[in-house]
This record gives sequence, structure tokens and C-alpha cells, in this order.
Amino acid sequence: MAESEKPKIGIFSLTGCGGDQLMILNMEPVLLELLSRFDIKDFQEGSSYKEEGELDIALVEGSVSTKTDLERLKEIRERSKMLIAIGDCAISGCVQAMRNGQMSMAERMKKVYGVDEDYYDVLEPKGLSSYVKVDLEIPGCPIEKDEILHAITSLLHGDMPEGIDYPVCVECKLNGYPCVLVEKGMPCLGPLITAGCNARCPGLGLDCIGCRGPIPEEANVAAEVKVLLEKGYDEKYIFNRLRFFGGNFEDVQNLTKKFSEKTEKEEEE
Amino acid sequence: MVKDNVLAPTPAKILKSENMTEIEKHIELEILDKEIAKNFVYKPGQFVEVGVMGVGEAPISICAARKKEDLLELCVRKVGRVTNAIHRLNVGDILWIRGPYGNGFPMEKMEGSDLLLVAGGLGIAPLRGVLQYALSNREKYGTITIMYGIRCYTAMLWRDEFLHLFYEGDKINVEFYLSYEDSSDRQCYELQCERSDRCMQGVVTRLFGLKEVEPENTYAVICGPPIMYKFVIQELMKRNFDPKKIYMTLERRMKCGVGKCGHCIIGSGKNIKYVCKDGPVFTYWDALNTKGMI
Amino acid sequence: MYKVLANENLPAFFESLKKIGKVYGPVKVRESSYDFREVESLSEVDLTYTRTMIPPKKFFVKPKETIFDFDEEKLEFKEPPDEEVKVILGVHHCDINALKILDSIYMDETPDKYYIQRRNSSFIIGVSCTPDEYCFCKSVGTSYAQDGFDLFLHEISRGYLVRIGSEKGYELINDNKDLFEDAKPEDTEEFKQNEKERLEAFKLELNVSGIQDMLGLSYEDPVWKETADDCFGCGTCNLVCPTCRCYDVVDYVGLSLKSGERVRRWDSCMLRKHGLVAGGLNFRPTRVERLRNRFNCKGSFTDGSLSCVGCGRCTVYCPAGISFVEVMKKVRGEL
Repeated sequence: MAESEKPKIGIFSLTGCGGDQLMILNMEPVLLELLSRFDIKDFQEGSSYKEEGELDIALVEGSVSTKTDLERLKEIRERSKMLIAIGDCAISGCVQAMRNGQMSMAERMKKVYGVDEDYYDVLEPKGLSSYVKVDLEIPGCPIEKDEILHAITSLLHGDMPEGIDYPVCVECKLNGYPCVLVEKGMPCLGPLITAGCNARCPGLGLDCIGCRGPIPEEANVAAEVKVLLEKGYDEKYIFNRLRFFGGNFEDVQNLTKKFSEKTEKEEEE
Repeated sequence: MVKDNVLAPTPAKILKSENMTEIEKHIELEILDKEIAKNFVYKPGQFVEVGVMGVGEAPISICAARKKEDLLELCVRKVGRVTNAIHRLNVGDILWIRGPYGNGFPMEKMEGSDLLLVAGGLGIAPLRGVLQYALSNREKYGTITIMYGIRCYTAMLWRDEFLHLFYEGDKINVEFYLSYEDSSDRQCYELQCERSDRCMQGVVTRLFGLKEVEPENTYAVICGPPIMYKFVIQELMKRNFDPKKIYMTLERRMKCGVGKCGHCIIGSGKNIKYVCKDGPVFTYWDALNTKGMI
Repeated sequence: MYKVLANENLPAFFESLKKIGKVYGPVKVRESSYDFREVESLSEVDLTYTRTMIPPKKFFVKPKETIFDFDEEKLEFKEPPDEEVKVILGVHHCDINALKILDSIYMDETPDKYYIQRRNSSFIIGVSCTPDEYCFCKSVGTSYAQDGFDLFLHEISRGYLVRIGSEKGYELINDNKDLFEDAKPEDTEEFKQNEKERLEAFKLELNVSGIQDMLGLSYEDPVWKETADDCFGCGTCNLVCPTCRCYDVVDYVGLSLKSGERVRRWDSCMLRKHGLVAGGLNFRPTRVERLRNRFNCKGSFTDGSLSCVGCGRCTVYCPAGISFVEVMKKVRGEL
């Protein structure tokens, strides 16, 4: 394929650990073949080469956590035909969003850095879709190599990749992994969390900590809280656990609010 | 080519691909394996699984009566991944098909009766097969009444064909009625001015105001968006139609087409049906006995 | 035909199975779970197990499998190779009856080639069991496998009373005559006594008389909403169900964009996409409709048999602790 016919792609980072770009670089067996299909205009972790101009596809990792992030995001959106959020940060803010809806940014600055000033022009950490149109979201912390490969191949083939919207439990069962929640009473978040990891943690006998995020508009958070309470975990532990990766998730926020209102009332009494 | 495998599709070449609207294409396919083509016998109301390798399969109803053994006509609306992929293909490209599946309309049973075909939007596609079959066996059926509801003129499928029936149908005892939803549609308005006895603005059920339907000797055949069935059936029941003489064809996610994958299961403990193999054509009587059918 | 396999002949019997094919049996996995796995020696197998999480359907409709590889340029596709013969040792009554239900679906007038090949190349050995507090096969009429196996082993004190269920089973016994003896009256007595005790040991009961009408009449019942509030919609109940057989199909295209594979994978009617059609309309948009559909499906007949065999898996493995029997009792107005 002539260079000019190849889709122009840019891979960008906002606030995050850069782990999603790294996962792309980690796709060693197919990396060269994959990259040769594209005209790469920006890929910070792969090359210092950069070029302005229109893009067919922009892959963006990281959350919008500062005004600078937001300006960059708008710029990327403007120049791209298709914008794909890769990784949890870009979808829901991930761990940065842990205290969303619970604590203001000023309070957070004070608590973490002990300052009243906003040195970084911070915004409450959120995913890209809170600000711009996102064509596709590929979850993960970090993203899964197979999933991103299938997604990119589908795009090259001309199709919109199909997202996964079933929970980790499905993958546990497909693999025949014993259920750590049912059998060991571990605080597994698997029933809420978007699959795609092939149930890596439960497969090792570990409970799912929810790193791929709750399934949007589907996860029954209240049921998880109920089950974990019944298993003897205390509310604070449960909400901290849910908030680790699900802080920006509406149900998590609402339930935390209810919980903290209840605790406050109890404390008053 | 694997012949004993129901999941294995057979290649079919696109002979003709015509944009009927912005989102609907009429596609003619030639089944390449002539042995398979010979046995690919279908009747109106049946469907095929149409696949694009690397993308997947989608159930698409056959939109014409069988005229030539290796030929198949489909109307494909661009709504999902597979249908988008089908729309990208050109004449000469290959689609992978399996089928034909489903029960189809009982054309023999309806012989000797009048036919009332009620279609909304894309629902005209399977009914076109019924119409073609009835027209090629014209002496076996009485008056054929078609009520076709469209959104607007540009969304009308097989426009030339149906406009011809609109004007000339009566010569072959076919009464064609048209309803359109977009009240600002000029072209439809002109049709209405020309033949106010045959064309009306509004939903398809309004056409019942233009035509006396005779329940005694009529089979009704309905296809359209899910919301339409309830209202059309209301009209028919008002006119004392026998629930067993109301046929309708349903849409579900028929992934395998052969009653295995379970996506098209409907009903209650009392009466579970697979739309793909028990249907997609059901009577209103079936609907009365099967929860959640319409 | 009935024979007795004495305990001392069990190891030799196991060796004879290995001559038929690879042997799979219930193996303890982690703390309390069991799974049918390939076994090399009898000591790996626990024939006194209660239930496996994943039923033996996994051998016939695989959790995930490539149905064919395709090459579009050559207009070719390639099926996976036929599977080797498998001996599945230690299948319970309920699971054998569940396989018969799957047979009626997968081996109907449009049979599934893969299923048939696997079913025909399997050797099924049933084993008797003792019900726990989740078993209710007695209530749904599947507590005894009449057929659907090659051999069935009923535990008695000196070994097993063996029922022969097929010609293949007969051949195995014929080829290993030394290992088997005729049943003595005391063996038969013991078998009868054991069956009596087994049937008396059931703690859980579900009345299924008229359940189809009750489900139909409870279509709008609050039970579905109440249960949906607790339900995760995670699909576990379907995936561990020995009669659930829904599958989804996904295509994967390789980087060449010309070749790839079509894969099918167990699906669940509790998952969001199950009732979704192209264009975005979902016939079962919430867990309420999905739960109702699942219970109606389980409460319906497949080829004359109730589609639930009472194995208890959906209840045992439900992360939300929803009890199938309890929901059905609510449907019946008993709770």
C-alpha cells in the first residue's frame, strides 16, 4: 500500500501512566506488521517524530484532569475523523476519579499537597466523552493487547469494532475458574466489571478489583454492595473498593452519597 | 465446501446492487455452487443468513419469489456492522449465505382468498415476495390489496415498481394504498392529490379508512416495525378477522437460523418458540398464545 | 443388563477406559470446586463429588471454539479437525438427562455437525450420587437416568452395580470379562436400599405441576422486578446450566484482512446483547425481561422434558445468591 493511502493515525496521552501506549509497543509479534498499515503522525512513546494535520484515527489514553488536557483533547478531536478512547483513564478517569462526586478538587489539593492554590489548573478527572464525541472506547488498565489488535484490525477491515458489555463472570465460567466470590467469599467485583481480561485475576485465585471499570448502564452496584455486606465486609471498605476504578460511575457516586449521609446521621445521633 | 455443516455458508456473487434509498440496497445474488443452488428452494417469507467473512452474519428476508434456481434477491438496510459491510461491497464481490430458513408464508393455504398485505417501511421486502408469488399464480388468488406505509417519498422501496401498481394495479385486480408520515413531503402530497382514494398522510392504519376489508374471504399478511403490529391487528380485529387468518413475520436476532443459538426465543413456559424455525411467520392466534411475540 | 464391578477391579477398569480414549472425570479444583478434567489415574478422580461448576455440556458445545477458519481470497474455509474419543467418567443422573435435552436440540432435523461428531465419539459413564441441599432433580423427574449413557455405576459396598446402556458399553464389558461378575441377590437388594435412601435424602422440593401456566400467568408479577433488583445479569446461571445452550458468534479477521476465523462462544440470555437486534432495538432491555425469559425458558418443555434438570448449579453459583427454587415458588404463590 502506498504511504499516502494508509490511514493516518495519532496516538496521544493525557493524564495517566502511559501504560496503554506501552501495551501497543508490547505487541511485539505483530507490532511491525501492524504499524506498517498506518501512516503514524504522532506516537510519543514510540517515536519523537510528530506531524500536524488531519488524522483518520486518534487513539487517546489518559484522563482529562487539567485545562491543558482539555485543550489538547479538543485539538485532537478537531483534527481526527475518529476518536478512540483507550484505557480506563480515557473512559472514566480511572483511579484519578476515585473521589469524584465526593470531594471537591480544592479539598483534594489541600489533602494531598497541603496547599490552597491550584498550581495545575486542575479539573475533576473525567473521561474524554465528558467533553467531546468519542467514537469508540476500549477499556482496560491497561488495555488488553488482543482487544486493541482486534479493534484496529476491524477498523482496517472497515468495521466498527464490537465492544464487550458482559461481566468478568462470563469469562470465569468459559474458563471454568472456580468462583472466588461464591466459594471463598472474596470481595470480587467481577459481576460488575467489563470483561475482556479473560478473567486473569480470578484465574489465579484472586478477586477482581475492577480495573476494567463497571459496565456502563448495566452494572448492578447496589446488588454488589448488598452481597459484600452479607459476606461481612464493612461499608467503608466496600465503597473504597468500588471507587478505586469506579469513582466516576454514577451508581457508585449515588450509593456512596447515601452511605456517607447515613454515617453522618449515625454520628450525629 | 462443506455440505453437511449447517453453519458453513456458501459463496454467492453480487450480480446487481442498487441503492433504493440512502440506507437500503436491493441486491441480487448468484449462488456459485450449482449443486447447492438447485436445492436452495425458498418461498416468500423465508430468510437467509448473509455473511461477510471477518464481520459476521445477519438474518435478511428474501424479497422476491424464486424465479431462477441460482438467483436470490435481498433488500439490505444499513443498520449494523454486517449490513454496513454488505453495503460496502460491489457488484462481483462475494457474500456468504446459509439457508433458506424459517417457515415462510403458507401460500397454498391462502389460495382462493383475497390477500391484504400491510407493510411499514422495510416490511415491504418480504411482502414483495408474497406479491410476486401471487402475481405469478394470479388465478389462484382474489383481489390483492396492498397497504404500504412509508416515512416519505425518498424512503419508498422499489418506487418504480410500486408506483406502477399504484396507477395501473387495478387492471390486474391489485389495489395499492399508500400512506406517508412526513406531512411536508411534496411528492407524496402530489400522489395524494392525484388519487385521494389511494393515498393518505399519516400512519399505515389510516388506510383502513379508504378500503372496506372483507374478513370472510381475506388473509391478512403484515410486516413492519414491531410497534406497527399492535395497531394493524387492532384494525383487523375491529373488522372481525379470524386470528388464524392474520399472518405476520417477526424480526429477532436470529444468529444461527436453525434453532440452536437461542437468541430468537420468545414466549412463556407454556409456549416457547424459536422465531427462526417456528417462524418468522406466525399467525395472530400464535401471538395470542405466545407471550411477548408482539 | 446388570453386572457388578468390585472395588479391587476398579483400577483395571480405569485402565481399560484409557484404551477407548482420553479419560475425563470429576477432579477437585481449589477448595470446594469440581471440574471434569483429563485424568491419568483413578486417584485423581473423586467419584463422590457433589457437582461440577461447569456441566459436561462443555465437551459437546464448547465454551469457546473456532467453527471454521476462512480464506476469502481462495473462497475457502476449513473446519477444525474431528475430536478424538473421550471417556467421560462419573456423570450424574441429572447431567445425563440434561445431555438428552441438548441432543434433542443439537441433533434435530438441522443437526450441528460438531455436536454430533463429539457426541458419537464419547463414552459416557454415569455414577450414582447423594443429593445435597441444592439438588431437586427428584422434583423435576430427572433423578434417574434411564438411558443416555454407555455404562452407569451405582455404588454398593463391594463396588458398583453396573447398568449397561449401550452396545458400546456392552462391548467394553465383553472385552474385560474378568473385571465383571453377575449381580448377586444381595447386590440387588443393596442397590434398591440405596436408591430408597437416596430418594429420601432430598431436602429441596419444587412442585412443577402446572408450572408452565403459572409462569404464563405471572408474566407481570412483581417477582421479576424484585429478583432483578438483586440480580447482576452476569450470566452465571446460564453458563453453569447443563441445558442452557445459547451461543454467540464472533468473527475475527487477521491482519491480512483476507483470512480469519469464525468463533462461537456460550452466550447467556441474562446479558444485555442477547435480545438486541441491529438498529438498537432490544427485545429484553432490562434484567426484568431477561430474568422472566430465563425462568420461562427453564420452565418450558424441550421435546417433552422440562428444560430444567434440578442440578442446583444456578443457585449454588449465583453470586447474588438468587435461588431458582425460591423464585419458582414465588411464581407458584407458595412463598
